[in-house]
Amino acid sequence: MPRAKTRKEEPAEAESDIAMEEAPTSHQPEAEEDNMSVDQDDNDEAGAANEEEAEEEEEEEEVQRVRLLPGSTPTAASFEFLNETHTLGNALRYIIMKNPDVEFCAYAIPHPSEPKMNVRIQTFEGTTAIQALEKGLRDLQDLCDIVSDKFIDARAKFGEGVSA
Amino acid sequence: MDYDPMVMDDAEALGPVVKISQADSVRVKYELSNTDIAFANSLRRVMLAEIPTIAIDLVEIEANSSVLADEFISHRLGLIPLNADGIDTLLYARECDCEGHCENCSVTLTLHAKCTGDENMHVFARDLVPVGDRLNQVVGTPVLSDAEGLGALILKLRPGQEVKLECIAKKGIAKEHAKWAPSAAIGFEYDPHNKLRHLDLWYESNAKKEWPPSEYASWEEPPQEGEPFDYDAVPNRFYFNVESAGNLAPDVIISEGIKVLQQKLAGLIHELTESEEDGMNGGDYNGPRSPEYGTGADGFGGYTTPFGNGGNQSTWGGAGGATPYGTTPYGAGQSGWA
Repeated sequence: MPRAKTRKEEPAEAESDIAMEEAPTSHQPEAEEDNMSVDQDDNDEAGAANEEEAEEEEEEEEVQRVRLLPGSTPTAASFEFLNETHTLGNALRYIIMKNPDVEFCAYAIPHPSEPKMNVRIQTFEGTTAIQALEKGLRDLQDLCDIVSDKFIDARAKFGEGVSA
Repeated sequence: MDYDPMVMDDAEALGPVVKISQADSVRVKYELSNTDIAFANSLRRVMLAEIPTIAIDLVEIEANSSVLADEFISHRLGLIPLNADGIDTLLYARECDCEGHCENCSVTLTLHAKCTGDENMHVFARDLVPVGDRLNQVVGTPVLSDAEGLGALILKLRPGQEVKLECIAKKGIAKEHAKWAPSAAIGFEYDPHNKLRHLDLWYESNAKKEWPPSEYASWEEPPQEGEPFDYDAVPNRFYFNVESAGNLAPDVIISEGIKVLQQKLAGLIHELTESEEDGMNGGDYNGPRSPEYGTGADGFGGYTTPFGNGGNQSTWGGAGGATPYGTTPYGAGQSGWA
């Protein structure tokens, strides 16, 4: 409501202060459009109220960080990860694509201001997208293990080299 | 269209390689090779923003007659590196059972300085004194790595001026605020000769003459005169330069970074195996959807690529034995990264 009010007042103020010709375009009264925008505001508010209710409902449920998006089949599925970024997405995509049973894998962050990351996996028959995702996660863990071990080894060897 | 499966070259099949070129208390320079840029970048990102450290988060100011405003000093205090060894024992304040903060989720430091002499007084990070019960004697103490052991300069006081304050240091990650960053900087570089042309170098007349060569330029073969562009080439060697701010040793930053990445994966695996049982397909939902081909009721598998019929007829879709992957670490179904 406050937004709608200010919008109505603005043209009136502008009229009393300066000649309309001099006012910037944004302050020029446009009666028809203004009415329309007020209507839209009302709609927005109704929409916002619905959203708020939905959010409350979501909060009551336990936050599920991985979700299978509806419309998925066993061998072709899209997953939505909450609070994940390119940090996980790109590496996961890479490792899942390494799996020979996977036909296609891609990831996307649909909007930069939403903390969501989507992964699409399509597999050949014989395995499912969920299995491919799980294998991908485990493979990436193994890769991390190896890099970690290799680094510790290299660091130890480097230390020896310096002291010798 | 001919679909080229990811050709795993022999080098990559050997698994990742780490080569260290410099390592001391401030920095580690190393080369990570035989991995994909996606993984190298994940490692960079996680070291940069997701390793937990400790930093001053709340400041209660009792007296401040210095020329600096309270919030200005508070901001400076937040940026002071505190020792984060043993941060694992500390809880996040939001996950702690206590109200506000306690010794399990915070470290309290006090600062009391008054200039009683005739000359201006310098107040350093050294003057921050940890007080109260602490989980261990290291975590949360100011980093004093300079030659005099003074630490960072916080403020200066004129004769007669005084500051008295109490700081609450909490655990956090740099994704929330840069003050929790474990590294001062992370250098990340690949392809020093720009053979892949990921860079478009600006130049007056000759880019090669005007741009100084990278310090890693001698590590890789320079391009031959008139060499054609290899459009299949992918970056394979990544040069990291991890520089510590003092709160964590540089090699600890790398190990911790990998650990954080693994914890992230472990959490997701746990959630995935758990949620499989209660079925993830929610009923009424009008958010983003997985693309649907037809209704799904016609038994159509869901993809329309040339490899659609189960993949068995394709050159490489079978059980894996007859494919180029048969001999790769992935062929046997067990991870072969070792």
